[in-house]
Amino acid sequence: MYQPMLFIHWKQASWPLLPISVAAFGLPLLSVQGMGGNVGEEGLFAAAYSPLAVIGLPLYPILAFLTGAALALTSWNWDHQQNHVYALSLPLARWEYAMLKMGAGAVLALIPVTALWLGAHVASASVTLPVGLSAYPNELGVRFLLAVALSYALFFAMAAGTMRTNLWIVSAAISALVIGVPILASFGFADAALQFLWRPGGPFEVFTGNWALIDV
Amino acid sequence: MNNAIELNGVGWKAGKGFELRDLTLRVPTGSIYGFLGPNGSGKTTTIRLFMGMMRPDRGDIRLLGKQVPRELPRILARVGFVPERPHVYPALTVGEALRYHASFYPSWDRSWSGDLMERLDLDPVRKISRMSKGETGKLLLLLALSQRPDLLVLDEPTDGLDPVVRRDVLTAVLDYVSETSATVFISSHLIHELERFCDWVGVLDGGQLVAELPMQSFKNGIKRIRVSNAPHVPGDTPFVILRRSGIDALGAMETWTVRGWQDPMRQYFEGVGATLRDVIDLDLEEGFVELLRSARPNNHRS
Repeated sequence: MYQPMLFIHWKQASWPLLPISVAAFGLPLLSVQGMGGNVGEEGLFAAAYSPLAVIGLPLYPILAFLTGAALALTSWNWDHQQNHVYALSLPLARWEYAMLKMGAGAVLALIPVTALWLGAHVASASVTLPVGLSAYPNELGVRFLLAVALSYALFFAMAAGTMRTNLWIVSAAISALVIGVPILASFGFADAALQFLWRPGGPFEVFTGNWALIDV
Repeated sequence: MNNAIELNGVGWKAGKGFELRDLTLRVPTGSIYGFLGPNGSGKTTTIRLFMGMMRPDRGDIRLLGKQVPRELPRILARVGFVPERPHVYPALTVGEALRYHASFYPSWDRSWSGDLMERLDLDPVRKISRMSKGETGKLLLLLALSQRPDLLVLDEPTDGLDPVVRRDVLTAVLDYVSETSATVFISSHLIHELERFCDWVGVLDGGQLVAELPMQSFKNGIKRIRVSNAPHVPGDTPFVILRRSGIDALGAMETWTVRGWQDPMRQYFEGVGATLRDVIDLDLEEGFVELLRSARPNNHRS
């Protein structure tokens, strides 16, 4: 049952997943452009702060976010198109069907994650780092995996619901921003609330943490 | 008698527009049950309710002797379903759709599926999105039959199909039933299609079950009779009067459309001082229309 489900999900997700995987492999390579060879400390410094490297850092979480979203949305796309009639006529409990789907997406997420991890290793191996700097390809891979998992879980939960449910969620989120933030700000809590979301240990910290492949 | 499908007092409301009211329906095991009704009468809603796709507001549903929705996965493993609109994923090929579907059914019969695919002339590498309506209809039936179901639920399975494909589809269903004595529930608004092979019929109109009876009674029991000197108030009749028409000023001759007619019932007219002039057979479609007319609230003596 699981294998055909994986195949079905692959059929739906392959078109966004392939370019995402290529990007995931290429991004670490791009981030070390100019660092290779004998460029000296000044060259390395210039390369580390080149526009490409600066732009490159936020691209990792964005790519992770997109990967999760693409996998989750393609997961339910065909079922929504058929008004879920097919899924509901199959002889398995709804939770079991949802778990099979989620599991299939989780396995497919390993493709771009592996691509990024490999790209990070290739990129690390292609530069000679001076003393004091290190490459963190495994850490980058794990961070990407966690960010994809978080994004996938959020979007999967939303995509599994009806359009009406999603409108409620989006409306509630917008209302919270429009009404909640000014109220919190008036009490001086707005910064604290936002900090709670992004701070180390917060629910979205994985997106805002350190994405550097080369660091001290 | 065991019932393959049993609905007791089922109610379901969709806003102000449509309501199923106190629906009680029994499909005997091993029967071929034709579920008739005009478009929008609630046939598909009824099917979705007993297939567990929607929850009723009230009432009790049993499918193959088991409670819906409590035992739904176990029940659905024994039910073959062909919905009104194709529900399979259009980006798959026929072979891929079969493999995917088969993985959910332990009773899937691979060799029977292969034979049926050949008989229905389906190409396993053909993409579903490129298939004609007739081919898609045949594929849906192939998926439903290959799992060897005890109950086959067909929602307007031949709607929009050409006569050749329609015959192929119905022949495949009949062959399967003759081999396995499975129960078939088939909904349609095409009465002549059901006439040939259904042994039970249920008629739904405006969310209410208007009649449920053996096909033979439906075929032979609805008559148009011409009566002279008919009583103004008919009293206790041994048959059901669906409609009275053609009443002239003197009350000399009336035409009654009746249900449940049998020949010995002629005696009733002698008892009330009326004379039965003529008994006219109605074809199935006329009978169906009369049944619907009689059930609608604005049915008056005309």
